[in-house]
Amino acid sequence: MSHNFIEMAAVTDVGSVRQFNEDSIVTDAEIGAAILADGMGGHRAGEVASHMATDIIMNGLQSQVAEFRSDTSSQSPLQAMDESINRANKAVFDAALGQSTYRGMGTTLALVLFYDNRVTLGHIGDSRIYRLRNNALQLLTRDDSLLRDQIELGFIAAADAGESHNRSLVTRALGIEESVRAHLREDEAAPGDIYLLCSDGLNDLVEDADIELIMSELKVNLPLAASHLVQAAKDNGGYDNISVILARVLKPFPAASHKRWVTRLLGWLR
Amino acid sequence: MAKLVLSSGGSVLFQCFLDEERVSVGREASNQVVIDDPALSGEHAVIIPVGNDHILEDLQSVNGTFVNGVRVSRHILQHGDVIELGAFYLRYLNPRASAERDFERTMLIAGLQESAEAARNEAGPFPEEARVPAARLASVRFPKGRVRVIAGSRAGGTIELDRVVATFGRPGDQVAVITRRPHGFFITHVEGRRYPRVNRQSIGKEARALQHGDVIEVADEKLEFSLA
Repeated sequence: MSHNFIEMAAVTDVGSVRQFNEDSIVTDAEIGAAILADGMGGHRAGEVASHMATDIIMNGLQSQVAEFRSDTSSQSPLQAMDESINRANKAVFDAALGQSTYRGMGTTLALVLFYDNRVTLGHIGDSRIYRLRNNALQLLTRDDSLLRDQIELGFIAAADAGESHNRSLVTRALGIEESVRAHLREDEAAPGDIYLLCSDGLNDLVEDADIELIMSELKVNLPLAASHLVQAAKDNGGYDNISVILARVLKPFPAASHKRWVTRLLGWLR
Repeated sequence: MAKLVLSSGGSVLFQCFLDEERVSVGREASNQVVIDDPALSGEHAVIIPVGNDHILEDLQSVNGTFVNGVRVSRHILQHGDVIELGAFYLRYLNPRASAERDFERTMLIAGLQESAEAARNEAGPFPEEARVPAARLASVRFPKGRVRVIAGSRAGGTIELDRVVATFGRPGDQVAVITRRPHGFFITHVEGRRYPRVNRQSIGKEARALQHGDVIEVADEKLEFSLA
């Protein structure tokens, strides 16, 4: 397995208005995984939910990637991600049932897993994943939010979204029900691609055109690009917690599969 | 909770709270708010609750629905809005629907199209028009600044600093970024073994505030910064 195939930079910030940071981010460049969660619920329960989700899912992905690498897994990365997400969902749901101050807690989610030249993307709620390819920014997720539903159904114009007070109303979250259906998809990961995972504290305040400009101008210095994104959100108001994870594909990363090697060997012998 | 206050000629006639139900306004008795004024249509307008919002919709009335003097067909009501209906005024009061958004906490709500969602292919990219755009606080203002290029391949030119960032120098060799912020412009080292210089002094790795008239050197470029 080729190591150092992904470079990551991550920043989370309480913002300019809030007292607590209910976002949680974890990254593991060695296995090629990054997870971001934006928690919700009273009495700082959002913080509990987001941290539970990122920790449980990262643990799950770490053991699953170890199984992929040792060829002892029968799962696809997509199935592995779904399983980890649902384990986290159940844990948050059970914790909320077990303690009254945690009741109703939940979290949004955005995560990526890079494996075998491909990226698996997952999300729930209004946290987003973008990709910068050839200096063009593309949104890869569709917000689970009331405002997005309203715009998509033509109830209100996108230009009037600033007038709405529905910005923070999400229509799906992890930990609210006994099981959760995450939006999952796979795509090819090309060297040079930069993936951005962010909480709504970024994209609610910084226009996509400015996100694109900051990422393409500063991509050579990923930590600086990440801190500039957060700074731009704070400069524009910073009324929410702001989290960003940037993940750059450094080189091709085909799985060094034993199975593949054995197949090739059998091919020669034939 | 949101409230509607009906008044005419300076006196309050009627008040009601808006909850989860739609409220129609018009001349006919079937409306929730009945206003007996010949200028109104039978069913004139309707107020529909959606999430934290109340949306006012004109029901193709003959004389139209006006909010704060502007004719609207559909309008997201804001705290203090005055809806004009003939000789009557309907004031919308909802302290939660004011400009400041820091009260907003992420909350879960039923979606409008779960079934459509389920049927839809998850693969992107997604249509631009369905995107929820960013909306920075209206009170944020940015200063105006520019650089005049004294030396380098772009010598003689002037570059407006009208975006959040602008980079200078030569990629792979030495690059610096000038960042526009509400309280001024800042220069930061981006890449290269040497740091950029301002007024012949290396700026190091931290961001440095720019003053009017500062001279910047990065790679082969020499720039003079000015505030408009």
